[in-house]
Amino acid sequence: MQKMINLTLLVSLLVGTLSCFKSEGDGSKKTLNMVITAKVKGMDPIYANDRYSNNEIARVYEGLLEYHYLKRPYELIPNLADGMPKVSADGRVYTFKIKKGVLFQNDVAFPAGKGRELVAEDFVYSLKRLADPKLQSLGWWVIDGKIKGLNEWRKKYADLPKVDYGEEVEGLKVIDRYTLQFTLSKNFPQFLYALAMPFTYVVAKEVVDKYGKEFLNHPVGTGAFVLPRFEQSNKIVYTRNPTFRKKLFPSDASPEFKKLGYLQDAGKPLPLLDKLIVNIIIESQPRWLNFQKGKVDYIGIPKDNFDSAVIPGKGLADDLSKLGITLNITPSLDVTYVAFNHDNKLFDNIALRRAMSMVYDVERGNKLFYNGTALAAQSVVPPGIAGNVNGYVNPYRGPNINLAKKLLAEAGYPNGKGLPTITYDTASSTVSRQQGEFFKKQMEQIGVKIKVVTNPWPEFQRKITNRTVMIYGIAWGADYPDAENFLQLLYGPNRSPGANGSGFNHQTFNQLYKSASIMQDTPERTALYEKMNRMAAELVPWIFGVHRQSYVLFHGWLKNYIQSDFDAGVAQYLDVDLEKKKELRAGM
Amino acid sequence: MSSANAPQMSKSLWRHALDSLKKDRYAMIALAVVLLYTLIALLSSIGVLGANWSQEVGASYAAPDMNNIFGTDIFGRSVLEKTIKGTEVAMSVGLVVALIAIAIGVVVGAIAGYFGGLIDELIVWFYTTFSSIPGIMLLVAITLIMGKGIIAVYLALGLTSWVQLARLIRGEVIKHKDREYVQAASAIGSSHFRKLFIHIIPNVMHIVIINFSLQFQFAIKSEVILSYLGLGVQGQPSWGTMIDDAKLELARGVWWQLAAATFAMFGVVLAFNILGDALRDALDPKLKGK
Amino acid sequence: MNIYSYTFRRLLYVIPVVLGVSLIIFVLFNLVAGDPTAILLGKHASASQMAELRHELGLDRPWLAQYFDVVRSAFTFDFGRSWSTKQEIFEMIKAGAIPSLTLSFPAFFLSTVLAIIVSLFVSFYRGGVVDRLVVFVCVALMSISSLAYILFGQWFLAYYLGLFEISGYESGFPYFIPYVLLPIIIWMVLSVGPDVRFYRTVVLDEIYQDYVRTARSKGLSERVILFKHVLKNAMIPIITYVLIKIPFLILGALLLESFFSIPGLGSITLNAINGSDFPVIKAMTILSSIAYILFSVFTDVMYCLVDPRVRLK
Repeated sequence: MQKMINLTLLVSLLVGTLSCFKSEGDGSKKTLNMVITAKVKGMDPIYANDRYSNNEIARVYEGLLEYHYLKRPYELIPNLADGMPKVSADGRVYTFKIKKGVLFQNDVAFPAGKGRELVAEDFVYSLKRLADPKLQSLGWWVIDGKIKGLNEWRKKYADLPKVDYGEEVEGLKVIDRYTLQFTLSKNFPQFLYALAMPFTYVVAKEVVDKYGKEFLNHPVGTGAFVLPRFEQSNKIVYTRNPTFRKKLFPSDASPEFKKLGYLQDAGKPLPLLDKLIVNIIIESQPRWLNFQKGKVDYIGIPKDNFDSAVIPGKGLADDLSKLGITLNITPSLDVTYVAFNHDNKLFDNIALRRAMSMVYDVERGNKLFYNGTALAAQSVVPPGIAGNVNGYVNPYRGPNINLAKKLLAEAGYPNGKGLPTITYDTASSTVSRQQGEFFKKQMEQIGVKIKVVTNPWPEFQRKITNRTVMIYGIAWGADYPDAENFLQLLYGPNRSPGANGSGFNHQTFNQLYKSASIMQDTPERTALYEKMNRMAAELVPWIFGVHRQSYVLFHGWLKNYIQSDFDAGVAQYLDVDLEKKKELRAGM
Repeated sequence: MSSANAPQMSKSLWRHALDSLKKDRYAMIALAVVLLYTLIALLSSIGVLGANWSQEVGASYAAPDMNNIFGTDIFGRSVLEKTIKGTEVAMSVGLVVALIAIAIGVVVGAIAGYFGGLIDELIVWFYTTFSSIPGIMLLVAITLIMGKGIIAVYLALGLTSWVQLARLIRGEVIKHKDREYVQAASAIGSSHFRKLFIHIIPNVMHIVIINFSLQFQFAIKSEVILSYLGLGVQGQPSWGTMIDDAKLELARGVWWQLAAATFAMFGVVLAFNILGDALRDALDPKLKGK
Repeated sequence: MNIYSYTFRRLLYVIPVVLGVSLIIFVLFNLVAGDPTAILLGKHASASQMAELRHELGLDRPWLAQYFDVVRSAFTFDFGRSWSTKQEIFEMIKAGAIPSLTLSFPAFFLSTVLAIIVSLFVSFYRGGVVDRLVVFVCVALMSISSLAYILFGQWFLAYYLGLFEISGYESGFPYFIPYVLLPIIIWMVLSVGPDVRFYRTVVLDEIYQDYVRTARSKGLSERVILFKHVLKNAMIPIITYVLIKIPFLILGALLLESFFSIPGLGSITLNAINGSDFPVIKAMTILSSIAYILFSVFTDVMYCLVDPRVRLK
């Protein structure tokens, strides 16, 4: 037994010694510790099709436009562009001036390792890269069919062995060193949003040529932070870009942010941080535990996760607020829904769809999964963007069991008699499974039998694309703040593999969409959007769920944090109060 | 390691084994535990127990108290009821998987051992190949093809866990096929099928029985991993999904689902382990403890 | 037959097995697992883009050609690039190997040593209360789900008691050590049960041999007998058991790496499984299969060398 005791002593001694090795980081440097929940797919803008890769890219790269950090509703402002573009009278020609003296980050790809100045030609090159048929970019859809001559260029080189970037494309023109002109092939008012998306961020040809296929591991942009080499690991460490241009913290803000004191840093040069550490923690338990220990500065609570961190109807749990943790709840531009597969004859029966919508208790689901803070969705367009009808109530929004039963009988299935078991597909996360179980219980009330099937995400997507589902639960988050991005989900010609996974196809709706999608932002367009939004509610192509809210918990030492649906590039505005951190962490 | 002259099982040996089992107090307790779980599973499958698992009995995530001794889950359902209902899944997974593995293992192993030659070479090649592929990859591939649900769980686990038994059976059959009793059967004109399945297999049954209890508990444990990967049982509670839920709950202090499922699983897996050891000691002293 | 030709013949046997493994992988992931392009292109995929991508990935080529690709990759280790991360798979494996090894090697070594010591210890007291208690504890440890150990260990030991890092990894010695301590302990708890049970039987097998009786009659102490004679002879089955487990270390510990954010091969594999990244899944499968086969050849040959009783067949 004596030996056992010695062994224990030895182990504890070992643990003690080793804790000295722990790298606590340099106390005088401002370091932000972030956490993300999925692997990053490399640092090439044209492949940034998920939010995580998107955000990582936006730390190093930049685009012509960005969203104002302190303004809601979302407002586009120039970033690398010097002012907003001049738009021709017919709305098809956009002329941009770009900022002078912007430098690419230093890299061996440039002569003497010094990054050169950004020029208009770089944007033309970057957009052609996005369209390059050999590269299989994941962002082609944002400009597909929009820029004059670009589709033809793409098509021409699809079957040729080499793509010629030298060939001029009519819609992408360099006027002079700092002037750039886009010509669109049709009216596409959402074009400017595309220029704020990381897909269109600017890269330098020298760097792409130098690294070839390894370009994705060597990000070199014009942004606030540098990452010399990207490695697939469990963390990514950025440092402040020493050659970053003079960019200042905004000095105007929406009233709500002004009131909260977000202008304290107004006019300070960006970025405010010295170092940015992005930890990749896929499992939720360690992510959460690390946050509570103060090793991560802020953490998003998974949207679909009812959480005992937050007491229903009250806010943050006491033990957390004692630690100086703040909860921030912000509506997000998204919608959750249960879609019918409209290829299935069963769902041609609109009374059946309405009956199922009528019995579904969205508020209860809201309590269970979103802590009661989500908004019941009345239709497809979320509040906060034009097209959402304030105060509108979906006539088939329940729960009203008697009415639902009546509708079901009307559909020809009194009390569910004669109705086959309906399969409900969803993703295989624990929460998706629980939501499926909830849906099943809801439908049971009127005798509709549901079988819940969970699938790993890729397979789930494949099933939707191949239309081998009956109904399925899913969500859509905005790519840009425009109702068009939501309404397209119900546009017939967009059927999967396009974004319209349910295959809903309604002639009047399609026509309205077609005309609205090429209109500039006018009251007429908003009226059309609203009309379509109402139609979508009454036709019940889906059972509408909720518009979710994002929950973010952050520690007292994190400054300037604001949630955004378009959070590419926000890290440059964040700051850490080192004094406060020391003080608060002592209590953890 | 091979044993040159394994004892031929006779009636008296079976009886002897039974006697020594009966004397083993732990084995008897383990057997009782297994029977209890089986009873719970049966009662749950005919709806006597656990039928109300989907009913709400309290608030969401209520801690254990007098009303709900294991507390409630996110929907306010009784964790106790879910655990009971989960017994049904666990026992059926254990049973079906063990049966599938045994059926494949015995047939494949016996054929390889009995016929020898090219057939043997081929079968050995196949199972060597098969067993060199990591089990998790096969599980994933099979569920990718089969889709989801309890049938997929049965098949995925059953199809990936027969190799060990096939190996053992093959070895035993090779030893037995030249024995006198088999030659006697040949002399009176028995078919290959008869010789193999009527004469030889009963003599290697003890290996099968030992293997059964190992497979049973292995399958129950594996169901958790499948649930973690999102490939588990759908639409009804299982211990695997309950433990998987805990990855969202434990950090917030909700420990009761994890505890209940782990504890339930602990009981039956432990019982099968003890029973397996006792069976091995009783049936095959030569294999003792392996 | 001498040992060289035996070794040669066993090595030759690797070829049909690798071909078989390639065949199974090909059937599972090229023929039946379906079309991954929708996954790879995400929510804005169009039909024409999917067709282009299929072409780019070579999925529209004849099956035989696709099978040969799998076979070729098994011999050249050129696995191409990951579908989802677009990284060179061989580079990913190289980068993941070290973190995996820093966890699996010490864990494996320590748990083996611990299990051997415990099994010798209980053999010394065989049949007694200590022996029965240890065996029971081993079985009990084996009866709890690995996921439960990980969840509870991380929450209780790392978070609640604050004894260890919750998760993470730093590369380079000795910085990784604090991060792998808890995973190593959990690994040891997971493997000590089956290991002790096995080693105990091996040791007991030897204890009842004639030479032990002889030694005892010569008046040697039980301790000397156990450590000098029994252990020496028990080494053969022990080494066999250890060697055959090594190839399984390649995939690392999937769950441990994932919960402790260790960027090793296990988390690469798990990520590939979750993302239907078939090239990575295939590469990991081929690698671990080859390791398994080579190690079983190695084990067999070693067995022949050290134990003359084994006949060369």
